[in-house]
Amino acid sequence: MTTLLDSSPISVVDALRGDRSKRPLIDTASAAGLRSLLDDGIYEVMGAERVMTPLVVRASSLHRASTTDIMTSGTGRLRGVLVSQVLRLLSVGVSIDHPFDDALCAWRSEVGTNDLLEHLDRLDDDERARLATDLDAHCVTLSRALGEIPARWRPRSAARAIQRLAGGNVVLRDVVDLVIGNTTSDVASIALFDVTTSPLGEGAERTMRYHALVQTLRTSTMPLRTCTFSTATGELWVRDVDYSLLARSVDEVLSCVQDLWSAR
Amino acid sequence: MTSLSHRRLTDEYLNELIESAPCAVAQLTDDHRRSLTARFRAVVTPGHRRLDAWSVEQAGQRGRAFRWAPVTARRVLGNAALRRIAVQPLTTITAGVRDELADQMLRATSGYARDGSLSYWLASAPHPVLGLVTAEAVNWATQLQEVTEGIHANWSVAPSDAYYDVATARTTLRARRDVLIDRDDARVVVRVRSGSPGKSAGPGLRADLTIDALADHEGLAPARLIGLWPEAGVCLCVDGTMADLRAGARDLVRTAVAQRRQRTALAA
Repeated sequence: MTTLLDSSPISVVDALRGDRSKRPLIDTASAAGLRSLLDDGIYEVMGAERVMTPLVVRASSLHRASTTDIMTSGTGRLRGVLVSQVLRLLSVGVSIDHPFDDALCAWRSEVGTNDLLEHLDRLDDDERARLATDLDAHCVTLSRALGEIPARWRPRSAARAIQRLAGGNVVLRDVVDLVIGNTTSDVASIALFDVTTSPLGEGAERTMRYHALVQTLRTSTMPLRTCTFSTATGELWVRDVDYSLLARSVDEVLSCVQDLWSAR
Repeated sequence: MTSLSHRRLTDEYLNELIESAPCAVAQLTDDHRRSLTARFRAVVTPGHRRLDAWSVEQAGQRGRAFRWAPVTARRVLGNAALRRIAVQPLTTITAGVRDELADQMLRATSGYARDGSLSYWLASAPHPVLGLVTAEAVNWATQLQEVTEGIHANWSVAPSDAYYDVATARTTLRARRDVLIDRDDARVVVRVRSGSPGKSAGPGLRADLTIDALADHEGLAPARLIGLWPEAGVCLCVDGTMADLRAGARDLVRTAVAQRRQRTALAA
């Protein structure tokens, strides 16, 4: 039996805000060093050869192949995409009456047609109803935990980033579900918030670190913290970003590049 | 030899690019305009032709037909929201975007919008789509605001793109511009694009530079045209030199030729 609490024990907004007096000064010096580490590491793997098709690394590339991820099923991916759409709507204060219909309507306007939408259209009425009910539960968990995000925090959803490394041999691609804060203040204030419909595990930690790394490389500014929230369990993981966290992500990216290069 | 250069997108580099823009800029004369018109007239087109930096970068390849979507609406709404915020600094970006959305829809309901316009599409869009449009426009405006907050010189959000109608050649040229930076001696133009710059980003920038100069009533080129790719964290720039203007004009004419060839091939 599924029960829902009247209010979530976790406030995402409080977690993202943290203790304002303890925010570190903005770090704009580490990005260049991290980029050098990545470039040197990629050179060791790939050498000076210029490849025609670059290796593309995404957050999903960092998950271990042996890990079972419920997001890999068609319906699981659909649920993930629709929850992301709900988050986008919530981030700008849109009230959602029917999560499934509203998210689907928004998504269709964005992508037109794709394989996942065709998969959705092939679902029979029972499967569709199950997905809609499932999505309702995930959205209740999300909206209760998220609350209202102040517009002053400059929320932007589905924030994309692309980084070319080693002369374009490797491309890092990333999409963070929600980014708040700005890079122009004197203290670190950027918080990266990711939502998953799976329970949190090692893969989620890698993803959190990867988001922080790509954001640092893109803006040359280290974010304050990186978080991930599971709408399946209501768990919220928050990590303050520091150099060691980013260096660990560099190792994970290099390991992934090694795997991708070996598999060619 | 063109002046294309590449930097990481940081406040320091962006200000350096603005401050180091050349003082002496090239000027297009009536002879230049006549010469360009003659070249475009030589490339016969059955209908009206519209060229911009994107068509130059795609070598005239026709993409999918344009349709309004949250992604295509975000720039218009995001820039308009920033212009509102410049007048009312206490307004948040989200509120600015919502006000702009409301104005656009009012235009449609009061009969001032034509079929196919943004206002018309927004007025008929369902509630969740409007929410997604808001989210996209907020993203756009926020990234542009982050860029402009770090600029030391006087800047303003461009009131519109630059357009130049090539007389008697059934050709309209359009240059994107998002931020205008006024220096005493010249202007610097900033344009923002999503994704990351490809190999043809330089020709695209030069096309925008040339069109911007053509759209200026005195034919003065911008001192520098800076292209920003915030998602990739890089910027590219070209200077307003005659060599770059010529290269931009050549690329635009080549694009028109490539489009005609494709049409001919399709007809065959």
